[in-house]
Amino acid sequence: MPSLEQKKSLSLPVLDGQGRLPARTLWRSPEEHAASQAAPSAGDISIASPEFPPGAEPPPEFTSSRRSFVQLLGAGVALGAAGCFTKPGEKMAPYTKRPLDLTPGNALHYATCQTRAGIATGLLVTAWEGRPTKIEGNPDHPSSLGAAGVFEQASLQSLYDPQRAREVRHRGAGSALRSFQLELSAHGQRLRKDGGARLRFLLEPSASPLIASVRHELLSAFPKARARAYASWSREASYEGARLAFGAPLEVRYDLAQAAVIVALDADFLSNEPGSLALSRQFARRREPTAEMNRLYAAEPQLTVTGSTADHRVRVRAAEIARLALAILAQVNPAAGAAAPTLPPEQAKWASAAAKDLSRNKGRSAVIAGERQGPEVHAIALAINSALGNLGKAVLTHAPLVHEVRAGPSEVRGLVEEINRGEVDTLVITAWNPLYAAPRDLGLAEALAKVPNVIYTSLFEDETSARATWFVPAAHELEAWGDGRAHDGTLTFRQPLLAPLYGGVSEVELLSALLGETERTPYQRLRELHKSKAGADFETTFTKWISDGLLPGTAAAHEVHALKPESLRPALDAAARVPAEGLELVFAPDYKAYDGRFANNAWLQELPDPLSKLTWDNAALVSPATAKRLALESGDLVDLELRGRKLRAAALVQPGQADECITLPLGYGRTATTEGVARGVGFDAGALRSAAAPYFDRGLQLNKAAGPAHRFAITHSHFTMEGRSLALDVNLMELREHKPNEELEEQRRDHPLIYEKIPYAGNKWAMAIDLSKCTGCSACVVACQAENNIPVVGKEQVEKSREMAWLRIDRYFEGPLEDPKVITQPVACVHCEAAPCEYVCPVNATVHSDEGINEMVYNRCVGTRYCSNNCPYKVRRFNFLRYNDDYTDVEKMRFNPDVTVRARGVMEKCNYCVQRVERVRIDSRVAGQPMKDGDVVTACQQACPAEAITFGSLHDPNSRVSLLQKEERSYRLLNELNTKPRTWHMARVRNPNPELG
Amino acid sequence: MAAGTASARQRIDELQAPLVNPGETDETLSLSMLQFQLKPAPRGWWLMLMLGLSGVGLLGIAVSVTLYQGIGAWGNNISVGWAFGITNFVWWIGIGHAGTLISAILLVFQQKWRNSINRFAEAMTLFAVMCAGVFPVLHVGRPWLAYWLFPYPSTMVIWPNFKSPLMWDVFAVSTYFTVSLLFWFLGLLPDLATIRDVSKSRTRRILYGIASLGWRGSARHWHDYKMAYMLLGGLATPLVLSVHTIVSFDFAVAVLPGWHATIFPPYFVAGAVFSGFAMVMTLIIPARRFMGLKHVITERHLENINKVILATGMMVAYGYLMEHFIAWYSGDQFEAFVFQDRRAGMFRYVYFLQMFCNVLVPQIFWFKKARNTIVIMWIASVLIQVGMWTERFMIVVQSLHKDFLPSSWSGYSPTWVDWSLLLGTMGFFTTAFLLFLKFVPAVALSEVKELSHELQHGGHPGAGR
Repeated sequence: MPSLEQKKSLSLPVLDGQGRLPARTLWRSPEEHAASQAAPSAGDISIASPEFPPGAEPPPEFTSSRRSFVQLLGAGVALGAAGCFTKPGEKMAPYTKRPLDLTPGNALHYATCQTRAGIATGLLVTAWEGRPTKIEGNPDHPSSLGAAGVFEQASLQSLYDPQRAREVRHRGAGSALRSFQLELSAHGQRLRKDGGARLRFLLEPSASPLIASVRHELLSAFPKARARAYASWSREASYEGARLAFGAPLEVRYDLAQAAVIVALDADFLSNEPGSLALSRQFARRREPTAEMNRLYAAEPQLTVTGSTADHRVRVRAAEIARLALAILAQVNPAAGAAAPTLPPEQAKWASAAAKDLSRNKGRSAVIAGERQGPEVHAIALAINSALGNLGKAVLTHAPLVHEVRAGPSEVRGLVEEINRGEVDTLVITAWNPLYAAPRDLGLAEALAKVPNVIYTSLFEDETSARATWFVPAAHELEAWGDGRAHDGTLTFRQPLLAPLYGGVSEVELLSALLGETERTPYQRLRELHKSKAGADFETTFTKWISDGLLPGTAAAHEVHALKPESLRPALDAAARVPAEGLELVFAPDYKAYDGRFANNAWLQELPDPLSKLTWDNAALVSPATAKRLALESGDLVDLELRGRKLRAAALVQPGQADECITLPLGYGRTATTEGVARGVGFDAGALRSAAAPYFDRGLQLNKAAGPAHRFAITHSHFTMEGRSLALDVNLMELREHKPNEELEEQRRDHPLIYEKIPYAGNKWAMAIDLSKCTGCSACVVACQAENNIPVVGKEQVEKSREMAWLRIDRYFEGPLEDPKVITQPVACVHCEAAPCEYVCPVNATVHSDEGINEMVYNRCVGTRYCSNNCPYKVRRFNFLRYNDDYTDVEKMRFNPDVTVRARGVMEKCNYCVQRVERVRIDSRVAGQPMKDGDVVTACQQACPAEAITFGSLHDPNSRVSLLQKEERSYRLLNELNTKPRTWHMARVRNPNPELG
Repeated sequence: MAAGTASARQRIDELQAPLVNPGETDETLSLSMLQFQLKPAPRGWWLMLMLGLSGVGLLGIAVSVTLYQGIGAWGNNISVGWAFGITNFVWWIGIGHAGTLISAILLVFQQKWRNSINRFAEAMTLFAVMCAGVFPVLHVGRPWLAYWLFPYPSTMVIWPNFKSPLMWDVFAVSTYFTVSLLFWFLGLLPDLATIRDVSKSRTRRILYGIASLGWRGSARHWHDYKMAYMLLGGLATPLVLSVHTIVSFDFAVAVLPGWHATIFPPYFVAGAVFSGFAMVMTLIIPARRFMGLKHVITERHLENINKVILATGMMVAYGYLMEHFIAWYSGDQFEAFVFQDRRAGMFRYVYFLQMFCNVLVPQIFWFKKARNTIVIMWIASVLIQVGMWTERFMIVVQSLHKDFLPSSWSGYSPTWVDWSLLLGTMGFFTTAFLLFLKFVPAVALSEVKELSHELQHGGHPGAGR
């Protein structure tokens, strides 16, 4: 029998953290009310349980007797009849579909956004009866263009995370939100007396106009207060670089649609940086084998998503990038006064070829400097772009979008100094976990102990919350109103999808509490703030903005600035300096944990790193040659020591890593936190960071440590293709000259089939995956996980090769392992027409649909695993254990109701998002229209920022997938087996510079 | 084989060593061969039974853990979807083969020497098939639904998939078990009646009376019995070939390199007979010693078994050779890789053990001295079973762990549950076999008596009993 809790839940529009209806408590008698208000008796264990913290409503009384069941049932009916369901207090407008009312069983889509590094990405969230289940990109939003990255999509997992903070804490003890707000208002009143002279803020970098207005109000009320921003991976250097080049901190952004030649100087612009989704789209559109095809040069210390996509990649240690940049500048513009530095031959060859290529493409190229590099490199990149006439075309500059252009360690240093001088009485922290994220040598932890009032808000109780006087659970971005700016400055709106599950507050609410404004909600503020922009009919206009998620036409225009040679000069001199010798340590934002804020996200933890395919860990990445010199093997523990700071980590040999350079991604090795998923995973790179060199440094001592080897959970540990024709690539020149390519032809060739041809009814579903566009960013993998309710199995199970991802991205290295070419290949079920899995299943649990989808009938599966053994692509996944049985009620809200949650002992795999196919079929039948090409969009296809995945019917000769499969670089994976896959891959096109061969 | 040749051959054989020691009468044979069933069990039997029951206990634990936790309790993964479970299944089924071969084929071919060991071998078959039968049920993800593999009229109106070799397995193995059981029981009838007749206690007489289905030994009974026995023998003969052929289809029908091979059916049958005879040897040597059956299971029997082991061992070795040859000759890069990996990959030590046990060890039986030395043949028989287990392990696990796409290559290491299931079925086998030895005549009394008569009175071998 389902529990009463569950029954009750069925009718609830929105559940709170305990899975309860946020309704008022009913009493049957005054005595009962009095009893419920009385202090709990000693034996009442439910109060002691962390599930019902102080300040929360008491748990509903529940005994399993028939009598109490009927009583509660009656009460439930009465509640419903009395209309006690709380309506959402504020209006949320649907984006694409606007039903008269919410129809159970029909999903609604809402436009909203999420912010990282201060820049907002517009999103479209699918919600079923008030439960967000899927985060997708907002096609109208310039930073998304319909795609969504791994962090945005996986934040859904964080929303429902049962380990999220639920309790307001005052000096570690539980408290209530209301008392906090009252206390904070009162405290604000006290602070006003001296104009907030002893009030400081440490904020998350933000470009949000709403935050700006609150900030403005705060600084008006507390004129002597000071606000700073801090982010572990800040974009400070980019702004400072612009200051060196143009005399003012500027936002530099790119329009790669305009760029035929791109030079990335330690810039992973296809992955982590703001606007990377849009950049991926622009980049990929020019990766087709046409005359327009672009060419990418990348110089970087460790293999990145961008570097693995490059036509010419050179391994350069981080400290040497500056000289490389200088060499390009010297060649592109000898008049700039940069003395060409002497480079190692390999780098010199690369730089010279890149410079010549840039010079041939004046006004049609872009040089991009990475956030890890210092201001000089950014300044040089701007100088090169300026000399090439790229400014205003592929490279755009305008005023910074974020409120604080400085958000690096210097800001924390300033704060610590003020604290140490005794100038700080109250510190409000909204920056993410600065005690973990800031370089430890700044002494922030010691300084915080001297501040009488530290107020901190975060999604989780973490390292910083333990030191805070007041800790307030933060609302998730899907739980709060707000706004932001896209990477191009477009005004973006954020609407909440549900009330805070765990009673958190948003940043705006926290800050306005200090102003004593507890009544004015963020929603009201948002309306007031943007009222002036609307015309006469504010309500209609505003509703449309919210429903669109953005205000079009608000992008920042390019501003013309002149180079300032006087400030550039010292930068060139600084860049020319020969860096000190020694082993280099490079920090990087992690592809999964970022700076650590996503460390508790199980989807991301289990997502294989795009390059190392490592899950549930980070590692000290070391090149094969350096590993040989130091006698290291993957898994060996190493003692790292950098200027007195020490860390024990595990080494991982990574092809493509620069020699004598160790990369250690940030965001792992969390200890003092309630984040059970993150705790104890990986190694804390932050322990080695210093404020002086937060991104890379030299002089690392590395000693092999004794002890058993660390066990890495790597999903794809084999490096090469073993000479097999799997992930194919071709050169643009050969393709254009139609040179016969035997390998490709062999994989395209039709083999005879002795069976009768099957006429597929209606549609003949098929997919094309363009390896030329795929960067390996893994957005599709997370999309598939969210769409198809794929469970997370944990490190131990991944070590045993039992990961459940239906869609994986194979990564192969070609050529010398020191400096290989990389190719990534997404592989999911290819839906063979002659499927080896189907004929071996003894119970007919995997069968072909009449439209050619290889379907998996979970109910029928007994779990012989024969299908998986016989699958040449090994795309089938088996529920070896009860991977889906231990969810809390709140976590269950995450599931897509259109997809079965699979039981133990059942096989599963990609089914071309058959639930989406059927939805479209139903809709088209209702509308009386035939299904059109492009109507069905699979989850992976939708998420892909590079548009590498195309889905459609082969019955339509003009469908995009038909046309793509006819292209001469389309091929079937493992064609010799004659399985007749419906998914075709398209060979990666490389566009090498003939000079470099 | 023509009758004349057979009798000539037999006369030559008789010159070599006796099949039944001369001077035995029906009474002496009955009492000597039934003494183990009639007297209290010796201490050694109890010790072995305890050991066997411990194994059964272990099996119980391992089965419970598997049912409770799921296949995740085993070492299997993706891509190694099958591992110990199927290895054990194929191994046990193979061991069963000697029983059918001895009972049926040698009966049809009128090989007289089989008469002392056929009962023994048939029982072995039954228990081995029972052990094997545990695994197909247990290895599925949802064993409580394993009955869906049977074509029964269900309300779901779904038939099993008759194209699947696993489906064929269901028929092959269940037919095999049924026929083996009938064959064994039918052969037992006269002997059960003999026990009934010589038993002193009333309970025994009643129990064995029921079990012997009213056998009175009339001429009519003997006539029908002989006819039925021969017919069942004829029915069972193709099963020797079919069962392991079909088991080999589980692999041969797949596309996987290392599995997809036309040589598998004969190669599997030869391997099955090979391991089955080795198992007969392993069991019969202690049994004839401790049960006092040396006069009916003579050295001649043992030598013949050794010759069969040598012959089938050579066939198996030929199979290995051809696998490697075809892998090279076909030019198939995937196939070539798998066999290269067998020699050089992570399972190479298992592979070398397999080659040693299955190819080198049987060669010792070229020497008559080895064929007649009990210790050597016993050790060799044990090694051969180890070798045949490793062979199946290599075929199942090694082929799976590195297939077409290097991205999905994985390793494999068994868990304690895997080992417990293997040891547990061995314990079950031991237990069942010991109970069989104690309660059922282990040697076919009536057939030995008949043989004894024939040998003493010249007989008439071509008469077709």
